[in-house]
Amino acid sequence: MTDQQTTDVAEPEEETSNLPPKVPRLPPGEWMKKNLFSSVGNSILTVVFVLVILAITRGLLGFAFSPERRWDATATNMRLLFAGAYPQNQFVRMWVSLGIVVALGGLSTGVWRAGGRMYLTSLLLKGYGVGGAVVLVGILAPFSGSARLSYFLVGGLLIAASFAVQSATDEDTTVGTLAVGLVGVSIAVGSFWVIPYGHHAFIDGAQVVSDGTVAATTKGPLTVMVILAVLTYFLGREIADRVDAGWPRKVLSLSWLASPVVIVFFVLRDPDFDYGHIATTEVPIFLAYAVGGGLLLFALASPRIGEVGRIIAAVTLIAAAATFLTPMLQVIRILALMLAVFALAAPTFSGNRAARLRYVTVWAGVVLGLLWLITAINSPATVESNSSFFTGGLALTLIVASFTMILSFPLGVILALARTSNMPLFRVMSTTYIEFVRGVPFITILIFFSVLFPLFLPENMEVTEIAAVTIGFTLFSAAYMAENVRGGLQSIRRGQYEAAEALGMTTAQKTVFIILPQALRVSIPPLVGQTIGTYKETSLLAIIGLFDLLFVARSLIPNQTSFIGSVREQLLFASVIYWMGAYAMSRASQNLERKLGVGER
Amino acid sequence: MRKQFLVRLLAVLLGFTLIASACGDDDGGDAGDDTSGDDGGSDDGGDDGDDGGDDGDDGDDGDSEDTVDVTQGGSLLDTILDRGNLVCGVGGNAVAFSETQADGSITGFDADYCRAVAAAILGDATALEFVPLTASERFTALASGDVDVLFRNTTWTQSRDTTLGGDFGPTTYYDGQQLMGRVADGFSAASSVSDVDGAVVCTNAGTTTEKNIAEAATLEGANFGGITLQTFEDFNQVTDAFIAGTCDIITTDGSGLVGRRAVNDMFDDWAIFPATPISKEPLGPMYRQNDSVFADVVDWTVYASIILDELGITSANAQAFVDGYEAGVSDPQVGRLLGIDEGELQSSMGLPADAFFQMVLQVGNYDEIFTNNLVPVGLERAGSANAGWQAGGQIYAPPAR
Repeated sequence: MTDQQTTDVAEPEEETSNLPPKVPRLPPGEWMKKNLFSSVGNSILTVVFVLVILAITRGLLGFAFSPERRWDATATNMRLLFAGAYPQNQFVRMWVSLGIVVALGGLSTGVWRAGGRMYLTSLLLKGYGVGGAVVLVGILAPFSGSARLSYFLVGGLLIAASFAVQSATDEDTTVGTLAVGLVGVSIAVGSFWVIPYGHHAFIDGAQVVSDGTVAATTKGPLTVMVILAVLTYFLGREIADRVDAGWPRKVLSLSWLASPVVIVFFVLRDPDFDYGHIATTEVPIFLAYAVGGGLLLFALASPRIGEVGRIIAAVTLIAAAATFLTPMLQVIRILALMLAVFALAAPTFSGNRAARLRYVTVWAGVVLGLLWLITAINSPATVESNSSFFTGGLALTLIVASFTMILSFPLGVILALARTSNMPLFRVMSTTYIEFVRGVPFITILIFFSVLFPLFLPENMEVTEIAAVTIGFTLFSAAYMAENVRGGLQSIRRGQYEAAEALGMTTAQKTVFIILPQALRVSIPPLVGQTIGTYKETSLLAIIGLFDLLFVARSLIPNQTSFIGSVREQLLFASVIYWMGAYAMSRASQNLERKLGVGER
Repeated sequence: MRKQFLVRLLAVLLGFTLIASACGDDDGGDAGDDTSGDDGGSDDGGDDGDDGGDDGDDGDDGDSEDTVDVTQGGSLLDTILDRGNLVCGVGGNAVAFSETQADGSITGFDADYCRAVAAAILGDATALEFVPLTASERFTALASGDVDVLFRNTTWTQSRDTTLGGDFGPTTYYDGQQLMGRVADGFSAASSVSDVDGAVVCTNAGTTTEKNIAEAATLEGANFGGITLQTFEDFNQVTDAFIAGTCDIITTDGSGLVGRRAVNDMFDDWAIFPATPISKEPLGPMYRQNDSVFADVVDWTVYASIILDELGITSANAQAFVDGYEAGVSDPQVGRLLGIDEGELQSSMGLPADAFFQMVLQVGNYDEIFTNNLVPVGLERAGSANAGWQAGGQIYAPPAR
């Protein structure tokens, strides 16, 4: 997700030839001679390490495919692993959420014209590799004769198909990477319809196992997702062809940013709005802020207002801070603070009538969005599950991870700017904060936010444990993000600052338009590393007893009467899930780096 | 110019902090379990001693809140009737006591007693919200009112009863710490702690099981050479180490050991001893103190389940008992408990007259709850402390009259 967001920071390059330079290939025999058996020492090393790898693989396969393994525990508990106790009759909401992400992904791929071409030969090489691996699994794993044979068959077919394609096409044939991906996903999803993986479910208190293909409630939605991805991709291309590419990209970037909020608070939670209350409270508040605040901002954004504007903005800030002295609705205070922020930023956006109106429109949109969000959060959830948070498992992991990423990035940038600022107070504050957070073990921070944070809140304010630990995650991750961004800031040459100043830019303009874009581009690899780290660190939620993926795998499933003690299978499965997410992010960031030329310029 | 920028920065920072904190006011606390690894179905009495002090403080806070609550709104019973559901604190990951099933539902012995209380109060065993709690957060959750009642295989101890701002209801399951060794190593059901001289004993770390076995070894006196104690994070690991041969003996609450032996199908190969456990672990409900009305409801739900078992009234035949009831002919105790006799006492408790009829119909009596949940993991009622008092056990209820 983050990768998608950062994509728009990049200057999107139009579809130039994305083909990697062609590497001349040696025939297999010579390649082995050159790379594996070039000297006696190398030959010995090759043999020894191949044997070690085979032994490890054999051990791992022996573990995974041993008849003692209770994989039916994993199969039966798929829903618990992915969505916790999310109610079955509302499960379509989970699919709709996935659909939103898939549709955004498809549209983005189309609009950004992502995906290049690759040589067919390199794909076929992968075909040989996968086929060989399947055969190897067949040899090494402790299978019965017929199962072994089917592995040989599948592996052999893959190799034969690769060979047939290779001899039928010429060397320079290229294929689209997206098409290859689509075929891969289609085969995987299609296999759900054809291959009898068996279907394990827990229905009305009884474990039901059938030998057929997986349930239609799984394969159906998955198929819809594939179709949705294809359709939205072509839709995205159409849009990009017909409309100036600028604003679809903006809309998509904003949609990505808003998607976790929409998914969590509107799709999954389905807030039960009290429309009477909204009409009497939220609507007047909206009108007051949108109209009153809008007029104020319109005036403040005038280029001729000068010092008076700054004084008014400062007064707004003081007034906003003063709202905390008297009891009132939280939302009024938050909006007052937002208004103060907009008032202070107004000079930067000053300009002609149209520019000022645009600024006021953005303000009204922000008020509407914030009010909508806060009302939704405070409305009771319609979806009730058997525990106080409505979901768990992988869904909870992803919710905490994505909110942390979205919130900690801006906070990290602010901290980095404060740390490199010339004003001692901010520098000291930011440095103290960063060094403090980095000097404390993360689990300490997590336990603090889970146990102690609620005690620090005002009396009538309640925060769920999930929200509290997400704040903890955000504050922790932000400190590390800040250091990554600071590294980027320091790599910007002095001349860039001077050139910007020579153009008469304000500090804000200089930072936003000149320094940050360059600094963030340099910071991409460590920022992605941090993001992946955050994603994996969500497993610490299990330590404080929240029902994330690891907790379900480690504590819930092995303690079910039918699957008591089946902890190893679940841990292996959970690690595969974590790995797939982390690997996908890592690959996406590599692509992004290549596109932005990080490390080349 | 720079100052202006920094002011803005401050404002943005403030704004973000606020938004971040505002994203909070959501649906109440969340749930989970502890790290010290609750093993299969037994209370790691563990946190008792260690957490006693901390929880005590929290308990006191909650207690004062609770007092305010009581003076304002009467009993918790009224609150529950208004709200229309019972909030029940459970473990969520204790084999046979409260398991989270694949569909997200929570089942087990403790979970069934939550259902029983909900059925008695509201006439609907599903008018219930489970809150899975870790061993360390359960007492805070009870004291702060996040849960109405705790059925979380909690051992009744003096320190918990007196310092946590809560009270214990009748014991629903008598557990006790035992040891398990291999028959091949010469252990049998008749073995005692003195036989484990020099053995490697494994259990989960940081629990009172660890303390109990160390104390038991000390009590054996001078001739006892001592044991080597090895601890693991979680009882699944303890069992694995026992199977692998790293441990000669493993120890935890008897219910946990029996469950492991049953699952691994080692009835003849693994022996559980001593017959008299080395610790007492009475497990039962817990509720906030100073609320007799609600306490009576929970207590008598448990008692009713026991009495109905004694009378042989089950979920299957309860309706027949009601239909076939004739005043002056049938057992008046049955009439009172099922709410069909004039002299029924449920109404005066603030419950519907048919409260316990609904309970037994929708959930079952003590024996049914035991059989449905604990027998599948190999626990037997007959001959254990959990047999009825007429059968020599300790499950006993005051008379319903």
